[in-house]
Amino acid sequence: MSDWLFFIEVSLAGLGSGALLSLTALAFVLIYKATQVVNLAVGEILMLGGYLFFAFAAGMGLSPWVAIPLAVIGGGIVGGIVERGIIRPMLGEAAISVFMVTVGLGSVLVGLVELIWGTDPRSLPNFIATAPLFLGEAYVSRKIAVAFVVAGIVVTVFLVLFRFWRGGVALRATATDQAAAYSCGINVPGVFSLAWIIGCATAAGAGVLLGAISGISPTMGIFGLSALVVVIVGGLDSILGALVGGLALGLIQSWTGTYLGGEYTSVVTFSLLIVALMIRPYGLFGTHEIERL
Amino acid sequence: MIIGTAKESYRADEALLTTKPQRVWMAIFLAFLVIVPFSVNDYWLYMVCLMTINVVAATGLNILTGFTGQVSLGQAAFMAVGAYTVAWMERDLGTPFLVNLVGAGLAAAALGIVVGIPSLRVKGLYLAIATIAASFILHFVFVHWESVTGGNTGINVAPARIPGMELTTYFQLYWVIMPVTIIMVVAAANIFRTRIGRAFIAIRDRDISAEVLGIPLLQYKLMSFAIASFYAGVAGGMWAYFFRVVTPESFPFMMSIFLLAAIIVGGMGTILGGVVGAVFMTITPELLRFVVEWVSPWVPNAGTLLSPVRTIVFGGLIIGFLVFEPQGLAEIIQRVRRFFRLWPFRT
Amino acid sequence: MFKTTRRTMMGLMAGAASLAIGVGAARAQDGDIVIGGSLPMTGVFGFAGVAVEAGMQDYIKIVNDQGGIGGRNLRLAYEDTAYKVDQSVAVFNKLTSQDEIHLYYGDSTGFAKTIAPELARSGEMIMGGASFASELNDPEAYPYIFMAGPDYSEMFGILLEYIAQETPGARLVLVNSDTEFGRDPIESTRAKAAELGLEIVEEIITAPGSVDVSTEVLKLRRARPDYTLFHGYVLSPLPEFMSQAKQLGLETKFMGTFWSMDSSLWEGVGEAADGFMGVMPYRYYYDDAENAPMMETIREMRPDYQATGYMQGFLSAMLMAESARRVLDNGEELNGKTLKAAMNTIEDFDTGGIMGVPISVPGNSVPVGRVYQFDASAGRMVAVSDWISLDKE
Repeated sequence: MSDWLFFIEVSLAGLGSGALLSLTALAFVLIYKATQVVNLAVGEILMLGGYLFFAFAAGMGLSPWVAIPLAVIGGGIVGGIVERGIIRPMLGEAAISVFMVTVGLGSVLVGLVELIWGTDPRSLPNFIATAPLFLGEAYVSRKIAVAFVVAGIVVTVFLVLFRFWRGGVALRATATDQAAAYSCGINVPGVFSLAWIIGCATAAGAGVLLGAISGISPTMGIFGLSALVVVIVGGLDSILGALVGGLALGLIQSWTGTYLGGEYTSVVTFSLLIVALMIRPYGLFGTHEIERL
Repeated sequence: MIIGTAKESYRADEALLTTKPQRVWMAIFLAFLVIVPFSVNDYWLYMVCLMTINVVAATGLNILTGFTGQVSLGQAAFMAVGAYTVAWMERDLGTPFLVNLVGAGLAAAALGIVVGIPSLRVKGLYLAIATIAASFILHFVFVHWESVTGGNTGINVAPARIPGMELTTYFQLYWVIMPVTIIMVVAAANIFRTRIGRAFIAIRDRDISAEVLGIPLLQYKLMSFAIASFYAGVAGGMWAYFFRVVTPESFPFMMSIFLLAAIIVGGMGTILGGVVGAVFMTITPELLRFVVEWVSPWVPNAGTLLSPVRTIVFGGLIIGFLVFEPQGLAEIIQRVRRFFRLWPFRT
Repeated sequence: MFKTTRRTMMGLMAGAASLAIGVGAARAQDGDIVIGGSLPMTGVFGFAGVAVEAGMQDYIKIVNDQGGIGGRNLRLAYEDTAYKVDQSVAVFNKLTSQDEIHLYYGDSTGFAKTIAPELARSGEMIMGGASFASELNDPEAYPYIFMAGPDYSEMFGILLEYIAQETPGARLVLVNSDTEFGRDPIESTRAKAAELGLEIVEEIITAPGSVDVSTEVLKLRRARPDYTLFHGYVLSPLPEFMSQAKQLGLETKFMGTFWSMDSSLWEGVGEAADGFMGVMPYRYYYDDAENAPMMETIREMRPDYQATGYMQGFLSAMLMAESARRVLDNGEELNGKTLKAAMNTIEDFDTGGIMGVPISVPGNSVPVGRVYQFDASAGRMVAVSDWISLDKE
């Protein structure tokens, strides 16, 4: 019995960290859906979000509830600037070139953060209550529970927005066929900017949550790599894929970490990735594109 | 001004060096490479050797990514395979170092073929991500296959030996590293005078058309992976003799990004680009050290600025070249060269 | 195609050569004894590098104010490495081609292992550093390397001795990061624990860069240890571990090793840090014990708190200077052999209170340490044990 309880607790913890992965994966998906760009700098934007929160909450002494929106908005602004400044000129270039631009961007962001805040790891001011939470008998860390709820809400909101909001529909239209969207009167460049702003804002928000759990440091952008695995497995253009993929990966990582040992998590994660790529190269929920000459 | 080169045979048309000035300059350049180790101190010799090793790895990656169009972010992992092979052969077999270097290349090539298999199903970004996955899995193997790799501690590598001498100083190692590099670069240039190289380029330009033209995609893609990994393996092997210890952390994922950045900055799809890119990207951070030293009287704590500035410059170079000069340094060099060739008639 | 390679290469090489010549000309001829340093002023280990540099500079200043060593001044020549091995080697080569260097401070285990063959070949210098890797504590394999404190295995040895005294037969959990640094003392700790009658009930390895520790905490709860020993971390994810364990009402005590023992790091964590214990070979900046005149001097030189790395750098410089002094007093030449031999003659040496007991350097390490506990309300580390010396057989 206690083994079952343990298993359930481990699974709950996995779902919680999986929710964070989903949230970060969402940033990849939003940007990819609209602009067909895989933005590897999502991890660094996430880190920047954490640092912005740190600057507002600890540096300027603002209340966390003011600092969180500010950090999220800050992430969005950075996203907007990046899109206008360096992604727009790359329009029409090979996907891999744009991908490398975002790699370069990530490096620049890391350098800037190191210049401004230094390289020491820091902890964020506590804004999530630490009292433990019990679901029945099973223990759940409060922070992880909060992350799960937030991620759940955000993903649902996006699913709803894409269904009913005009901007969301415009984004889906752009994703399906840019030229057709243009001729329907959709402001395609505007959609590009919007996707980057929302995507980066989401990443920054995920960064605040992540920072609250594990502290912030300039190297925390590596988390983006796990989220990248999620979107590759789930499908680069599928919000549902990000949600399911993130939760699944969180569960798998937490099971491997518990029953095999922490050293196995990354090898299991990446083996799964390769298997998924071989079986469904376009992801579990992604759109299968047919190549024509 | 050179008006044109009259070629009388196909051989001449395919030659690597077509004009007399090119041959003369090449000879001068080689002579220069001979003089280098006698005229610089250990620090610069270290940098030159490091550069040279990176040139081999970058040239390999250039064959795969620049010429065949298969993006790989696993080149550093293949270097690690080469380095471990050398370390293992040196420790357990005790074979001569040149044999070990070839062994390193072959081991990496064999693994390259395995890692290349997903290229059947996926391409572009997905392939890049598959190679990332492969490099993390390899890292796991390096840490846990303790009987061969020494686990987290790694392996200390005995120095390379020729009869009667151990090659331990940079000066001695230079005479191994530089010739091997020259041979590898010339070989790379020659690949693209053959059917194989042209097939690679055809695959890069449009893989489906290439297949229609009768190029077996699977075979050639895997061959490209094998060649690129062979280069990485040899580079890693030289790295092992150069640093004398190999650990799982010796070849971080960042190094793969570094090599890809090097060929982007240098110019993808030209041999010159891989060479220049690797040299440029290796030397630039080191030159920043001197810049920081130079400004330190005016800037407080300049020493702590070095690494963030390096990180920013690294990223900035990637962005800058992709946005403004996608053909890379090689293109700039071509422009300069064209300018001088046409001078003074066109300025 | 190759015509222009030459041009760029020539340009670069010419630039390089001229720089090298320029640098060579600047080579110091002033008879200083130069301590070289590949210091990680930035990067993941930046906090340590900055502190180490300050510590070394201060001790050098103290020596120089007293007239140097045999009339020769000490000088620290260092550059930033960002904690990357290839850069550390570059710095090593740069510094050694600029100055005559017999004493060196290296920043990582990887660097120490990389440069060890070169040290053995040239025989010119001894090297200390920020690494306490057990592997380096082997005078046979690494004759020219020393560490200004206990190696990681010895640190665990000190912790285990303390635990065995406080709670005989205690249940332990080891939490290590999946890196060379993290895995270093696992083997020896198993043996030592068995010897002392302590039971290791669980070994947890965390993946590098893992964010959430809930699953590990759950394992911890199942294992119900008396002590949880961390190694291979600086700070994160220890605070999260501790706060979650407290939420769950776990009784376990948390312990760490030297690099995660800095007082100001834990002060930033706040309440959750209370009760964290660990081994520290030196006194803390604010330790005003009576028999520690050197601590007094340090507080005079630096009015603000100095991190643990400062003490480490300070003592490293002290051991280096003392070795150099002994060599010169004997009228010998400074080189690796004489310096290391001189260092091994250091016996019952008074560090002025940096370490609380007189120290000896029989091999490559100084196996002395003390267990401290963090008191969050005071924001300080408080000693909970006496100085513990491990005698190497």
